[in-house]
Amino acid sequence: MTSKYKEKIGAIIIYLTLLVVALFCLVPFFFLLISSLRPGVEMIQNGISFQIDFSALNLKNYWLLVEGKDGIYPLWYINSVIITVAHTVFSLLFTSMVGYGLAIYNFKGKNLIFTIVLVVMMIPVEILILPLYKLAISIDLIDSYMGVILPFVVTPTCIFFFRQYAMSLPRELLDAGRIDGCGEFKIFFQIMMPLMLPAFGAMGILQAMSSWNSFVWPLIVLRSTDMLTLPIGLQSLITPYGNNYDLLFPGAVMSVIPIMILFIINQKAFISGLTVGGVKG
Amino acid sequence: MLEPPVVALNKSYNRLSKIKTLFACQKKAPYLFVLPFVVSFLVFFLYPIISTVIMSFQRIDGPESITFIGLKNYKNLINPHFFNALWVTTRYTFWTMLVLIPLPLLLAVFLNKKTTIGKKYFKSAFFMPALTSVIVAGLFFRLAFGEQETTLVNSILGVFGIKPMVWLQDPEGSMFAMVLLCTWRWLGVNIIYFLSGLQGIPVELYESASIDGANEIQQFWHITLPSLKPVIMYVLTISVYGGYSMFAESFALWSGPRSPGEIGMTIVNYLYQEGFNNNNLGFASAIGITLFVLVMIVNVIQLWVSGFFKKEGV
Amino acid sequence: MKKSLVLLLSLVLFLTMTVSGCGKEQRAADAKAGDGKATTLTFWTFQELHKNFIDDGVATWNTNHPDKPIVVKTEVYPYDEMHNKLLIAIQSGTGAPDMADIELGKFANFLKGSKPGLVEFNDVIEPVKDKLIMGRLENYAKSGKYYGLDYHVGAEVMYYNKEILDQAGINVNDIVTWDDYIAAGKKVVEKTGKPMTTLESMEKWSYYPLICMQGSDAMDKDGNVILDNAINVKTLQTLKDMLYKDKIAIITPGGHHHSEEYWAWMNKGNAASVWMPMWYMGRFVQYMPDLKNKIVIRPMPVFPGGKKSAGMGGTGTAITTQSKNIELAKQFLAEAKLSKEGSIKTWSLLGFDPIRSDAWSDPVMSAPNKYTDYFGTDIFITLKSVVGDIGSINVGPKFPDAMAQIEKNVIFKVLKEQSQSPEEALKVAADDVKAK
Repeated sequence: MTSKYKEKIGAIIIYLTLLVVALFCLVPFFFLLISSLRPGVEMIQNGISFQIDFSALNLKNYWLLVEGKDGIYPLWYINSVIITVAHTVFSLLFTSMVGYGLAIYNFKGKNLIFTIVLVVMMIPVEILILPLYKLAISIDLIDSYMGVILPFVVTPTCIFFFRQYAMSLPRELLDAGRIDGCGEFKIFFQIMMPLMLPAFGAMGILQAMSSWNSFVWPLIVLRSTDMLTLPIGLQSLITPYGNNYDLLFPGAVMSVIPIMILFIINQKAFISGLTVGGVKG
Repeated sequence: MLEPPVVALNKSYNRLSKIKTLFACQKKAPYLFVLPFVVSFLVFFLYPIISTVIMSFQRIDGPESITFIGLKNYKNLINPHFFNALWVTTRYTFWTMLVLIPLPLLLAVFLNKKTTIGKKYFKSAFFMPALTSVIVAGLFFRLAFGEQETTLVNSILGVFGIKPMVWLQDPEGSMFAMVLLCTWRWLGVNIIYFLSGLQGIPVELYESASIDGANEIQQFWHITLPSLKPVIMYVLTISVYGGYSMFAESFALWSGPRSPGEIGMTIVNYLYQEGFNNNNLGFASAIGITLFVLVMIVNVIQLWVSGFFKKEGV
Repeated sequence: MKKSLVLLLSLVLFLTMTVSGCGKEQRAADAKAGDGKATTLTFWTFQELHKNFIDDGVATWNTNHPDKPIVVKTEVYPYDEMHNKLLIAIQSGTGAPDMADIELGKFANFLKGSKPGLVEFNDVIEPVKDKLIMGRLENYAKSGKYYGLDYHVGAEVMYYNKEILDQAGINVNDIVTWDDYIAAGKKVVEKTGKPMTTLESMEKWSYYPLICMQGSDAMDKDGNVILDNAINVKTLQTLKDMLYKDKIAIITPGGHHHSEEYWAWMNKGNAASVWMPMWYMGRFVQYMPDLKNKIVIRPMPVFPGGKKSAGMGGTGTAITTQSKNIELAKQFLAEAKLSKEGSIKTWSLLGFDPIRSDAWSDPVMSAPNKYTDYFGTDIFITLKSVVGDIGSINVGPKFPDAMAQIEKNVIFKVLKEQSQSPEEALKVAADDVKAK
């Protein structure tokens, strides 16, 4: 009897903890959504608060998002989409190549390169922003999509993941491909890549997420108002001369939505993408 | 590891095009595969690092007035602002580790229990915040921690009869806000790390333990925790890395490196302020190099302790 | 199956490349837009309103000079980002616009080194020198060369909430010295329970003007740091006393007079006064609508032997040496900002106190607009009575640093945290600025 009783208490504690934490995680979304439906003036007066006049909620701010500031917000959205897609695609292509190369072949310098991959994985990019900025200026990458993408297209974390994944690829296929007269790259693209599809899914989503939300580097490399990505554009609405909450909140909500949809559609790939390295010893 | 057999067929050089041969050649192909990384490393990593090192010995007033000043930039690091930044960053890292390791571990254990229902929904809820950009999160937290009585946090405190607080002008209050912001965004990610670790623990271990009469808490201490050591080490590493390179959270809360009394000034914020706002490129480079060394030391120690070098066998 | 995958991948690659390519071309096309024969000038600013002012100036220019029409393409950036990007563009020798707004607090950063990346305005300033408040242009000068044209005088004034003072039975015009002000403050607190004023804990506007009005500064004329001199310490002590001894002031909600918390709070009529420069009028009109007709503008109280005002803040429009149309840009800016007509526009469009003194007596200035509707028609009477006292401040290379010290550390630690005494805080700050 006592053990049953104990179990019940345990279950209550577990669910209570889970519920409280879940509430903590979701409450900000609720307020972001509600705030996006309120006039920005109210935000200035009270901050984010429990006093909500539900009858005053309306979609006006979202309309402003399309029309306001000469339609700059849709432009930011397009910039973000282009940069995210291009970044993800190029990144997957290159890092899968590198990861595969490191896993399949034996060649001189392989260990050195792999060690470098591991080291670079552990360096915060923030240290490099100054020289990278100077470099970007000197090779004319400032204020362009390329400038945002190029320095971070070959992500070490992705390489690491693809390498781990490619280690488990069957070597027999490689030999069979060679006997059929396929070149090394043909083998990679036609035989191995399809086998690595789950890895592509996981890394693709991870890369898309980090690219969509990336802040530090785009903040520095982008210049013109019409080239900004969403996070930078939203940040630019916060000024010493009064924050534009009418645009900020609906803008923030809209920026979360696509990545949220992607997550809901493909939770599994998200999660396996994140467990890179976490499981290895 | 198996050495791939050399296939004679491939060696017929038809000279259709040089590129084709290059791509087909087994000896050169591996280098082509890793080429993107090598190029990217040289151009976007090694070169910038080297130029940072060089700049850290210079005083730069403009493209045409650069003077070599030796170690002066590093000597100038001995000032209260840098120490404050170091202290703020260290405290931040400490608190994020203290919260973001035990809490997600506990939640992961709860979620991993067979009897828990609604796991999928909890997991999604915990993970949602990780999908937002730091600017969106900062927007919410800045306003929720506003100083009026009506703001979210102050009105919650009001329920318990606590007076409203000026959070973002108080060292402890703002540290709390920063750590909470970080917790909100990264809790779900760490839960997933721990969950994947938990799923790797063989069920038999628990079964035999419960036959021996060990209760759940004992099982946690003697089986779960030791088995999760690699994951915990990994999360520890990324926490140190993330903590010391923190920039955007503070930037979002105070719209730039402008917290009062430098209560939210982290090392990278200091670097940004000196490099971009004050245009002391040389000095900022010295900050960057110092941070680099700091993070490397911490990482190497951590890897050493976890026996990483032995396993990977370079 | 495998083939289709490769096909799909290459298709995606191709698409993204063309799409990103498109983006670039689109922008290039945008930049070229406009009249074929008109010269395009680029202009960076951090203030949306300045864009409107420049646009208006362009319209005027094109009417007056049909032979050399111009198009100005303006980019409005956040404050920090604009200055950072401009600085690096100028340093790296590429990517700077033709013209840019540079805030006074940041200007010294652009004059470092032997050859500043900015163009001097001496030839357009000389002819009208006697009509300009030159002290305001000295702020943007180095070795006798003027590199920036300001928008306004930025005279420091007191904004009183007449309603509250009436309740306390105080006549605004009786407040002449700081002793009067403090005495009045005590009466206000006693009668209404509301503070006389608010003091910033995160920005410099409550403190810096007061030291300038007593002839002190952060640096002396030769650029030596005098941040911790007796006047500065005493003034800071006066402010601290207002908060904790006389109890006539409180720390500004939100930490500074540009925070939303403050605007919302002040709008409800919660404080009897605030001292800010003239350009702060715009914030009242925009963010504190409920105080309309309740606020009056009066000269600052004076310290014994001190001045009646000081020119505070400011933004210098500069031309970069990277511009391909330096001469044209200079003529345009001279017309837009230094001419009497242009100077009047800074009032009618921006609500600033014009930098040309002969503009003030112009009938246009007393014509009703949203500022006279809000504050009454005696704004320029107040301004005229104090302008003789406005000189320049000392902006050497250390100025940005000194201001950052005041804003981030001194004010906060003395007034808000009370963790340091005025002497200590100023000493630490002065040593810090000297060390750099």
